[in-house]
Amino acid sequence: MSEVPENLFYTKEHEWVLLEKDGKVRIGITHYAQESLSDVVFVELPEIGTDYSKGDVMAVAESVKAASDIYAPVSGKVIEINNKLEESPELINESPYDFGWLVLIDPERDVEGLWNSQTYRDSIA
Amino acid sequence: MDIKQTPLYEHHQKLGAKMADFAGWVMPIQYRGIITEHKSVRERVGVFDVSHMGQIFVRGPQTIEFLSYITTWDMKRQKEGDCRYCHILDNKGMIIDDIIAYSISSEEYMIIPNASTVDKIFDWMIDNSTEFKVDIKNSTTDFFCLALQGPEALRLLGQHLNISVKPFCFVKIGETIVSGTGYTGEFGCEIIGPAEEVSTHWHSLLDMGAEPVGLGARDTLRLEKGFLLSGQDFDGGQSPLEAGYGWVIDWHHEFIGKEALMKQKKTSFLKLSGIILEERGVIRTGFDVFHQGECISSLTSGSLSPSLGKGIGLAYIDLPLNSAVSVEVRGSHLNARVVRLPFL
Repeated sequence: MSEVPENLFYTKEHEWVLLEKDGKVRIGITHYAQESLSDVVFVELPEIGTDYSKGDVMAVAESVKAASDIYAPVSGKVIEINNKLEESPELINESPYDFGWLVLIDPERDVEGLWNSQTYRDSIA
Repeated sequence: MDIKQTPLYEHHQKLGAKMADFAGWVMPIQYRGIITEHKSVRERVGVFDVSHMGQIFVRGPQTIEFLSYITTWDMKRQKEGDCRYCHILDNKGMIIDDIIAYSISSEEYMIIPNASTVDKIFDWMIDNSTEFKVDIKNSTTDFFCLALQGPEALRLLGQHLNISVKPFCFVKIGETIVSGTGYTGEFGCEIIGPAEEVSTHWHSLLDMGAEPVGLGARDTLRLEKGFLLSGQDFDGGQSPLEAGYGWVIDWHHEFIGKEALMKQKKTSFLKLSGIILEERGVIRTGFDVFHQGECISSLTSGSLSPSLGKGIGLAYIDLPLNSAVSVEVRGSHLNARVVRLPFL
């Protein structure tokens, strides 16, 4: 059974979004996504300072078998990336909602159009 | 086309394997994960269901003459109980398939072609056998094939069947053949027997601690050793010389494709070469290879090497070892180098 924490928002492309108290947005891929990818062996992360529109490919997670695009769930500027993933891409498998986060974005405007945990849980059921 | 299942299909599902279509068979791609399974084979022992591999029997008084004519190897050099890896070529000297020939007796051989080429090889054999007194039978679906591979494989085989096998030799027990062969570059064996007996072998080997391994790790294991993948590293347009497999040819006998190879030998040709990535990343089959700014080839195989932690691939190129090349990954060029095979 895939874990779907209730405090997060989700996209249909299996990204999770955490709204931080300061308005920043932390992004990663879901438990379900890392399980379908299986062993993540390489992650291509964006440069800090890059602007993305919602839906742009902003990162790529690669397993032995496949490369999977990760889309920006919100529009905004990348202000931090998870550098640990360069050395330890397996953090995405081991801790998808915590140590395996991907990027922190300063969103352009209020975050909208994301799914709550129930909607996402139903979509993968 | 119907999708075929191996006799272990339900057992794979019970183990939670990710299944996918491969060469017309629904096969386990991975169980616990490609990297874990890969490392189990390199460090301990893994078992693969490779029952999709073909079994074609050639029987009759001219079995040896026929197989020597249709393969790159002179089967007169084989003894009973020997296995031989060699190629079957077309008239232009291009590889149709790579096979293992099992010398059961002077009048009976078993041929193991790849799953994707069984029908093609069977038809090719029939078409070229009119001058020979042989009977050719495709028994692929009657047999299972399990590959037990890794440093501990022979210990498990001893515990399981109380036998041992040497590399490229086989032992026959009733209808079951156990050979010192495999596709991982590790010590090990392949067990080929009547389909209905497979689950006894499978469960016994799992109970003794063999890790079930899928086709995903089978691919990374073989790629690290530079072994060819049928349909990828050769697909009808490459000769054994180009593939770097000149050693499978016995030049002292007549065989289909020999004349073309003799001509090719005198020319210069591209060679299948190892390419290793010098930066982080994963290179994949089909990605373009560049040298001095020019696209010179594309990868016939590519993956991450779980043992080396680096991107590795194969490509037909004509560059000396150590040449600097690059591989295009999503629009950027990653630095790579031409290296000697095998990678590991």
